[in-house]
Amino acid sequence: MDKNKRVWGAAGGAVGLGGVAAALGTCCAAPWAVTLLGVTGAVTLARLSAYQPYLLVAGAILLGLAFFWVYRPEPQCDDESCAPTTRRRQRVAVWIAALVFAAISALALLPFVL
Amino acid sequence: MNRSLLGMVAAFALGLTACSAPDAPAASTAKVTVLDANASQLRADFNAAKGSVRLLLLVDPACSVCLRGLDDVNDALLKQVHDPRLQTFVVHEPVTGGELKDVVPASALLENANVRHYWDPAGAFGKQVTKSLDLMHRGEPVFAWDVWMVYDGDTVLPANGVVEPNLFMHQLPKLRGEPGRPMLDGDKFAATARELLKQLPERQRP
Repeated sequence: MDKNKRVWGAAGGAVGLGGVAAALGTCCAAPWAVTLLGVTGAVTLARLSAYQPYLLVAGAILLGLAFFWVYRPEPQCDDESCAPTTRRRQRVAVWIAALVFAAISALALLPFVL
Repeated sequence: MNRSLLGMVAAFALGLTACSAPDAPAASTAKVTVLDANASQLRADFNAAKGSVRLLLLVDPACSVCLRGLDDVNDALLKQVHDPRLQTFVVHEPVTGGELKDVVPASALLENANVRHYWDPAGAFGKQVTKSLDLMHRGEPVFAWDVWMVYDGDTVLPANGVVEPNLFMHQLPKLRGEPGRPMLDGDKFAATARELLKQLPERQRP
């Protein structure tokens, strides 16, 4: 897989999973679930909230992978086949994703604290 | 990996949409009583049913977790036991944005004819339950909603507040771990109600 794509994918996936976890965690903080999904849908969402911790763990793992890929040492070789690439943009993106994931995770866990 | 994760999220959204089929028209006969400040109508109905096992449930009709609790209690007990000696009183309270109009759709979750629904517009009854049962967390009172109580056939509600039930369960994070305050387990809730029903005289009517 293209190195760029897997970093973007992992970081984006972490944010996505965190967003789903936040949706599951906040389903009872406001009546949006019932308004959008109806009573039956809201019940289903509440049952799915049991998987919230797994989603957060999976998101953290993806984020960890993203960090690993952008910070691991580049291979060194004599010819130009493995010339080092600039990964600064990717690193910035992964850090932004980490901050977003942290904020979303806090939102997901808020109902358990309040 | 990006596409597969997007696919997963899309599938999740589609699944939720599928599971959120338009609610079946709630029974048009579902009657909701709006409580006065002292919940006098609830007390009168509850005490008139003396001799029955009574469930007293406090929920927000727009809270997904409360609705899940109603569904659990229905699955474990109410859709199986239609004995008139089991009476259910559901007090709906506006906590997370629930309104009177949300009560009828929520009432459809309970498939039992011996259920009465009440709307507690200012949460006054919930506050009375908090005070009566001393629901506290770190010295602060915890408003009584998402609580699930079973009373035996002899209990009578006083003019103010409530008495300690035979079983108190809840789904409130702040009460998690409090002694004598277990989290709602539909099967255990149903088992207690069934046990109390067995203790009633066979032909006694409320």
